[in-house]
Amino acid sequence: MRIDMFGDTLCAMVTATAMAQSGHRVRWWLPPGRVARALDDDRVLYQEPGLSELVSAQRRAGRLDCRTDEPGLADVNGEPAVSEPAPVVCLALQPGDLERAGHLADWAGRGGARLLVNQSVFPVGTTEQLQARLRDAGADTPVVCLPDTLQEGQALDSFTRPHHILLGCDEREAEVLMRELLRPYNRRRDVLKVMLPREAEFTKLAISGMLATRLSYMNDMALLAEELAVDIDVIRQGVGSDPRIGEAYLYAGCGFGGPGFSRDVMSLTDTLRSRRIGAELLEQVLQINERQKEVLFRKFWRHFEGDVEERRVTLWGAAFKPGSDRVDNGPALRLIEALWAQGVDVHVHDPLALPELSNWARGKGTLTLHDDPYEAARDSDALMLVTEWKAYWGPDWDDLKAAMRTPLILDGRNIYDPAYVKRQGFTYHGIGRG
Amino acid sequence: MTAAPLHDLPPHHTDAARDADRALREHAEQARHWHLADLFAEDPRRFETLSLHAGGLLVDISKQRLTADTLEKLRALAAARGLDTWIRCLFEGGEVNWTEGRAAMHWRLRQPPRPQGEPDPVQEQLARMERIVKRILSGQWRGCEGDAITDVVNVGVGGSDLGPLMASVALHENHPREGRRPRVHFVSSMDGSQIAPLLDELNPATTLIVVSSKSFTTVDTLSNAATARCWLEQAFPKMNGAVLRCHFVGVSAKPERMSEWGIHEDNQLLFWDWVGGRYSLWSAIGLPIALTIGMDGFRELLAGANEMDRHFQEAPWEKNLPVLLGLVDVWNLNFLDITARAVLPYDGRLKHWPAYVEQLEMESNGKSVDRDGEVVDYHTCPVIWGEVGPNAQHAFYQLLHQGTQPVACEFLAAARHGRRNGNSAELQPLEEQHILTLANCLAQSRLLALGDRALAEDDGTPTHKRYRGNQPSTTLLLDELTPRHLGALVALYEHKVFVQAVLWGINPFDQWGVEMGKKIAKDMIQVLESGAGADGLDASTRALAAYVRERQPDDR
Repeated sequence: MRIDMFGDTLCAMVTATAMAQSGHRVRWWLPPGRVARALDDDRVLYQEPGLSELVSAQRRAGRLDCRTDEPGLADVNGEPAVSEPAPVVCLALQPGDLERAGHLADWAGRGGARLLVNQSVFPVGTTEQLQARLRDAGADTPVVCLPDTLQEGQALDSFTRPHHILLGCDEREAEVLMRELLRPYNRRRDVLKVMLPREAEFTKLAISGMLATRLSYMNDMALLAEELAVDIDVIRQGVGSDPRIGEAYLYAGCGFGGPGFSRDVMSLTDTLRSRRIGAELLEQVLQINERQKEVLFRKFWRHFEGDVEERRVTLWGAAFKPGSDRVDNGPALRLIEALWAQGVDVHVHDPLALPELSNWARGKGTLTLHDDPYEAARDSDALMLVTEWKAYWGPDWDDLKAAMRTPLILDGRNIYDPAYVKRQGFTYHGIGRG
Repeated sequence: MTAAPLHDLPPHHTDAARDADRALREHAEQARHWHLADLFAEDPRRFETLSLHAGGLLVDISKQRLTADTLEKLRALAAARGLDTWIRCLFEGGEVNWTEGRAAMHWRLRQPPRPQGEPDPVQEQLARMERIVKRILSGQWRGCEGDAITDVVNVGVGGSDLGPLMASVALHENHPREGRRPRVHFVSSMDGSQIAPLLDELNPATTLIVVSSKSFTTVDTLSNAATARCWLEQAFPKMNGAVLRCHFVGVSAKPERMSEWGIHEDNQLLFWDWVGGRYSLWSAIGLPIALTIGMDGFRELLAGANEMDRHFQEAPWEKNLPVLLGLVDVWNLNFLDITARAVLPYDGRLKHWPAYVEQLEMESNGKSVDRDGEVVDYHTCPVIWGEVGPNAQHAFYQLLHQGTQPVACEFLAAARHGRRNGNSAELQPLEEQHILTLANCLAQSRLLALGDRALAEDDGTPTHKRYRGNQPSTTLLLDELTPRHLGALVALYEHKVFVQAVLWGINPFDQWGVEMGKKIAKDMIQVLESGAGADGLDASTRALAAYVRERQPDDR
C-alpha cells in the first residue's frame, strides 16, 4: 500500500521505516530541521538500535522515499505541495503542531485518502476533533488514533514486537484497514486493544503518568531510606517481588527526563487542569522529579558545606537514558545549570550525547567535553554518575582514584556496590542508600 | 563622594521673606471666607489653570482653596526663602543635613551610570544586588542543604521596611522577566509577633533572611534577626558556617558591623551615610522590590524617580510638581490653619502608601527648630494619616464630611488599572471594579469640595443630613501603576517634603526626636527585670513597671 508520513518525530521515523520494511511504499515528508538535514547527509539523528541501518536499507530498496527537499511543505496557505494523498496518511507531528495537523487532515480528506492515522501526542480528544472537521468539510476519510507508545532506547523493537498496541478507532472499515497495516507486528497473539480514539489517547497518557508515579514514589522512599539508614535497592527488590506490583519502573535515581516521558505527564496534568480537576498527584510526581534531578548537586553541596566555588565536577553520562543521544529534560542539564551558577568547572563524558549537550550549552556556559572518561575525571572534586551506560559499570577504580582530586562518587543510578567502592578509598553517596 | 558645595545655604529670615509672608497673611484673610463651590462657579477654567501633568502623573489642585493669585504669592515666599539655591545645594551634595553635618543624596542612587572608567560605587552596589537577585530568581541561590530558595524574609524597620513593603505590594502584578520569584515576607515588629508565626510556616532549608539596617544596631531588627538565626542554626546544627553563608544577606551602611554579626562578606550590600533611612528604597534596601519585580523593573523604578529629579531641578516653578505640592501644603497649614491631612489611595495595591507617607513626611518635617537653633513660632508638618480610600469611606469619612475638623485630603488613583496577566473575559469584572473604585474617588472629592451644592436640590433637608463641603483636596492620577510611574510619584513626595522644609526653615533629614526613647528603653529593661532603678521614676511609670513585674511567670 502507499503511505504518506508527516513529521520528524522518532515515532514518524520508526513507523515509516518499519512500514517500508513490511513492503509498503512510504513517502516521508519532513519539515525543515535537524532530522531532515541529517537525512540529506544520509545520517539518522535518532540513535536507536538497528534504526539507522534499516533506514538506509529501505531507502536503497526504494520503498522509503524521504522528501526533505520540499521546503515548508505546508507553508503555502497550509496547502501541501503534493496534489494527491496516498491512501493512508499518517501524522506523527511535534506536540505543538496542532494547526498543521488540521491543514494536513483537510488535504487528506479533500484528496480522498482512505484513512488518516494520528500518531502525534496532542491533547485528549484531538483525533475526534479532526474527524469532525473532515465530516464538516464533507469528506468521509475516517480518522483513527495510534498512540505513540515507543520506548526510547528500544524504539524499533517496541514497534515491531509490541506487548500491546493501542488503537483508537470507532469505525469498522478503518479497523479492518489498520489491522491489515499492523498484521506483521500482531502475529503471535492478538495484542491490539481497540477502543474509542479519545480513550486510546487517554490510555497512553495514563500509562506515562503511572510509570512516572512509580518512579517518584520510589524516589520519595529513597529519601526516607537515607534517614533510616537502609538501602533502597534492597527495598526495591523486596517490593518488586510482589506480583501485584512487579519489578518494572521501581529504580530510585536522579530523575527521569527525555523528550517523551515528562512531556506526557505534563500533557496529562494540563488536561486535568483544563477540566478543572486538580492534578494534585501528578503535580507532586513532577515536582518530586524536578527535585530529584538536583539530588546529586545537593549531595555535592552538602559534602563541601556550600563552599564549592572553583571546584571541578565530572559528569559521567548526559543522555537522559543509555542508548540515546538525547539530553532533553534530563537531569544532566539541571545539574550543569546548578553547577555553573555556583562557579563550578564542569567536565563531561558521554559516549553518544556530547554533540546534543554541546548544542544545548551554546550561549549558556562553558563545558569541557571529553572522549575519555578518566581524562574527564582528572583533578575532579566529585564524579556524578548520571546515565547508566554499560561502560560505566566496571571502572578501573585505581585509575579513577589517581585521577581525581577528591575521591567522591555520587551515584545517581545506584549502579555501584557502596561497600566495595568505599573499600577502594572513595566517599560514596547513592540515591537512598543510607 | 561628596563634591565641594558651590552654594552656601541661604538664610531663612530675610526682609523679603517677611514681606512675602505678610502679603500671604493678608490674602488669607479673604481666602478664609471662600467656598470651593463659589470658586468653581466663578472660574470655568479653574481645572486648566490649577492642574499639571508630568512623569506620568496628573496633579489636580483645583479643589484646593486657592487661586492662581495665591500660588503666585506662595512662589514669592519660596523665592524669598531661597528655594532655588536650596534645590541647587541639594543636588550639589551640599550640607543640607546640617545637624548631622552631611549631604542628602538619595537622588544620586537613581542617576544613570557614569561614563566608563569613572568609579561609580552606586552602580557597583547595584551590580552586586543584581547578581544576588539573579541567583535567587533563577533558583540558584542555595540553602545550606543545597535547596533552591523559595521564601525571602526582609527583616527591617522604619525606612528598611516601609518603603520596600509599600513598593513590593504596589508593584506585585509586575513579574520578573525571567525566573521564578520567591515569596517575600516582611518582619518589623520588635515583639516577635510577626516573625514567630512566619517561621512556623516556613521551611528553613529554602528560606533566605535579609537583614536590613542602615546602622546595623537597630534593636528591633537585630532581635528579629537573632530569632531567625537561632531558628536556622537549630534546624541545621551540624553546619553553622554554611547557615550564615547560605541563609543571610545583610544591607547596611556599616560593613564592619555586618561582619561582626556574622554576615558573610559576599552577602553584604552597602549603602551610604548620605542616604537617609526613609529615602533608601532606591539603594540595596530595595532588594525585596527587585526580587518581586525583577532587576529590570527596579531599574525602571529608578528611571522614573530620576525623571522626577530632573523635573524638580529644571521645570519652572509654575510647572513644577514638587514645588506646587509643597506650596499647597504650606498654604493649608500656615495660612488656612488646616492641621490635618488624610492620604487616600483608591487602589488596594497602594494599601501601604499611607504608612509610607506618614513616615516620610512626619519623620522628615516633624521638627520645630530652625537653622539658627531657634524654636519656630508657626506650625510645621501637619498630622498625617490615611487608609485605602474605599475602606476609609466606611471608617473615618464621616468625620471628613460632617465633623468639626478641617482636613486636607489627598486622593491617589491609577487612571488605567493595567493588569498584565489573564485573558480579557476573566478580567472584565475586575475592570468594572476598577471603574467603580474611580467613580467613588471622584464622587468623594466632589462631595467634600462642594457639599450640598454637589447635589441637584437641597431644600428642606434636615441639618443632620447636610454636607457643608469646602474640605480641600488634591487628586493625583497615575496614568498606570507601573514601576516607572511609582518611582516618579515617590520622588515627587521626597522633593515636596524638601520644599516644605525650606519654607519652614527646618532640617528634614535628621530625626533626633526618635533617639532619646531608645536610650530610656534600655534603662527600663533593667527596671522590668530586677526592679533596680525604679525609685527614680515618676509615679505613673513606677506603678506600671511594678504591675508588669508582678504578672511575670515565676521562673524568670
